[in-house]
Amino acid sequence: MINALWNNLDYAASIVLFLIGLYAVIAKDNLIKKFMGLNIMETAIFAFIVALGVVDGGDAPIMGEGARAPFTNPIPQALILTGIVVAVSTTALALSLVIRIHKQCGTIEADELRELE
Amino acid sequence: MKKALVSALLILTAIPLLLAVGQLPPHGSAKSPAYEHVSAYYLEYGAEEAGAENIVTDVILNYRGFDTNGEVTVIFTALAAVMGVLLLGRESRHPVEQPTYPPSIVVRFIVRLLAPFIAMFAIYVILNGHVSPGGGFQGGTILGALAIALTLVLGENEARRLIPEGARPWLQAAAPLTFVGIGLAGLTDVGVYLGFPTVETLTWVRTMWLLMLEIGIGLGGAVIISSIFWTMEGER
Repeated sequence: MINALWNNLDYAASIVLFLIGLYAVIAKDNLIKKFMGLNIMETAIFAFIVALGVVDGGDAPIMGEGARAPFTNPIPQALILTGIVVAVSTTALALSLVIRIHKQCGTIEADELRELE
Repeated sequence: MKKALVSALLILTAIPLLLAVGQLPPHGSAKSPAYEHVSAYYLEYGAEEAGAENIVTDVILNYRGFDTNGEVTVIFTALAAVMGVLLLGRESRHPVEQPTYPPSIVVRFIVRLLAPFIAMFAIYVILNGHVSPGGGFQGGTILGALAIALTLVLGENEARRLIPEGARPWLQAAAPLTFVGIGLAGLTDVGVYLGFPTVETLTWVRTMWLLMLEIGIGLGGAVIISSIFWTMEGER
């Protein structure tokens, strides 16, 4: 078990990062910190999937002169490019909602917002 | 109490994840299942078949063009939603004349000095996405960051002159519009939406279409990022 984890240290590291983000999302009260936690979780997933495509001694998957096998897997990289753009979109929408909440209620602390009702 | 609950939840999440990671094929192995099927095909034939030497560009713009079409629509929708959330119910918009805290002369000088080089690098990244690392999204982000830096240092009015008021709505929709354009070109030419001509001798047409998509994504991405920033910044 420990040996398998040691071989897959990259994956284990992204899981630790994921848990840090999850902690921020559930334990912090400040809405901006919650969304930062969400972004950390997204980064952990991106790191995990890109690490899945790494090949030992692999080059960037760019053909043309001087290209030599093996190449890293291009599909995880392309998928993560899509994921990053979607993450940016959700973050922009979340932050604009936070701005709106701050304007309407004067606070962005989740516990204070709960008392306001 | 709350702390104990949170740590229990975190540990309960960690255990299955770590167990699963222990079962994955070793990191960096060329024999992992993810590497053996589709990606082997893309790596072998992608450069001739899809029109770009950078296989990642081939995958996002040609093989998975539908996916990217949806993706640029998502970021355009995000801009629309941000504007809807923030602009609704606002009486009138006063662009911020000067930054609230005027930056020092050193900052102004450095940003003015670097701006043309940043713009040049962004255009280089956009136009070389098919032969080197880079592409529309990356270059567009650099251009958007340039617009944001100019807004922070020189004020919003100065930065807004970069993008003419009349062309802005069209530029904000540039990426989805380019995709629809190329998609319709594919529809008339090949009979499939977003289909690329497959004839051996037409590699340059495929490369041209990829380049047009990159330019559309780059311009659209830059304008969307700076518009989101300006919409948020007007809110004080």
